[in-house]
Amino acid sequence: MRKSGRIRLAATALLAGSLVLTACGGGEDDTSGDKPAQVKNEDQKKGSVQLDRPFEKPDLTLTDDNGEEYDLIEETKGEPVLLYFGYTNCPDVCPLTMSNIAVAKSKLSKKEQEQLKVVFVTSDPKRDTPERLDKWLRMHDPSFVGLTGEFATIQAGARSVGVHIEKSYEKKNGDIVSTHGAQLLAFSPKDDKAHTMYTEQNATAKVLERELPAVIKGEKP
Amino acid sequence: MTRRAPARRRTLATSLALCVSLALGACSSDSEDGKDGKDGKDTAAGSGPRLRVTGAYMPQPTMADMAAGFMVVRNDGGEKDKLTSVTSELSDTVEIHETVDQQMQQVKSLAVPANGELQLSRGGNHLMFHDLIRKPEKGDKITLTLHFAKSDPVKLSVPVKAANHQPAR
Repeated sequence: MRKSGRIRLAATALLAGSLVLTACGGGEDDTSGDKPAQVKNEDQKKGSVQLDRPFEKPDLTLTDDNGEEYDLIEETKGEPVLLYFGYTNCPDVCPLTMSNIAVAKSKLSKKEQEQLKVVFVTSDPKRDTPERLDKWLRMHDPSFVGLTGEFATIQAGARSVGVHIEKSYEKKNGDIVSTHGAQLLAFSPKDDKAHTMYTEQNATAKVLERELPAVIKGEKP
Repeated sequence: MTRRAPARRRTLATSLALCVSLALGACSSDSEDGKDGKDGKDTAAGSGPRLRVTGAYMPQPTMADMAAGFMVVRNDGGEKDKLTSVTSELSDTVEIHETVDQQMQQVKSLAVPANGELQLSRGGNHLMFHDLIRKPEKGDKITLTLHFAKSDPVKLSVPVKAANHQPAR
């Protein structure tokens, strides 16, 4: 448990599930009987995990999907932000996550929709040019911001919020393998820190629709 | 390319004819009902894989460059099988992928255990369609054929669902 001490037990178990194991496929095993009871409750609740030690917003200055410089801290100061690390050559989880956010966002009030900032940082900057990010994100929601830049910078930013990504690599058969983050982070407009995290399994449209109004107000969902 | 069983790639007519004549339920022509497999029970009596496919769907893709496909391949037979390749009218390149540690990788085949199932589901194994001939929209149907090491090919008509569709567990 590399994260122990940073977040409470339930969150740790969930995180371990998503970060270390094959969270992607094996998520349903998270509730196996030998785990502490609160993990089960957390999972049944199908909602966010509250971080005991919130993450600072990553200090990332990258290029946005309009090709312009974007300083994440400066651009989103005092605003509720959903932050996700993924890549567009991803058929499953990345579009699922962005689509879930888009669907949930569309159910919010107009004011809430205007307040919420959604930032997608590519984990595959070589293939995800600003143009490609713009084209891809537009299909989900034109207001979503896409960021690209040096992989090392992006990886360090991801690491600072507990998100593990690895550099894309090419296999012998020519396939390019990239990583997407296992969690979606929600930053509060009050202190610009992430108090709330969604694991891949819990970032459903329904959960987000229910919880985003609180997130936008800077409250605990 | 991962299509290792070219011998299995018969023409559509042949494979459908085979399905019908064998009546083993190795083929289910519709992904939704999933009942076809039951009838052949006595015929096969535990020998050979007996496959049926349920709950197949394709989430509406973001763009026309790639799409994913999900389903469950149930094997009621006493012998294991392997999904070795997939062909489709939607794309000339359909790959079989597994996801490990948030990384998706092409694999040559996926096992369909005896008296078990192969799950292709969100965040895990999936089919990956490259360079789509058209961008399917929610409500469309696409056709694809699953090719196995032992069983006859299974042709499916797969519904296109919302981009964030996830079947209830």
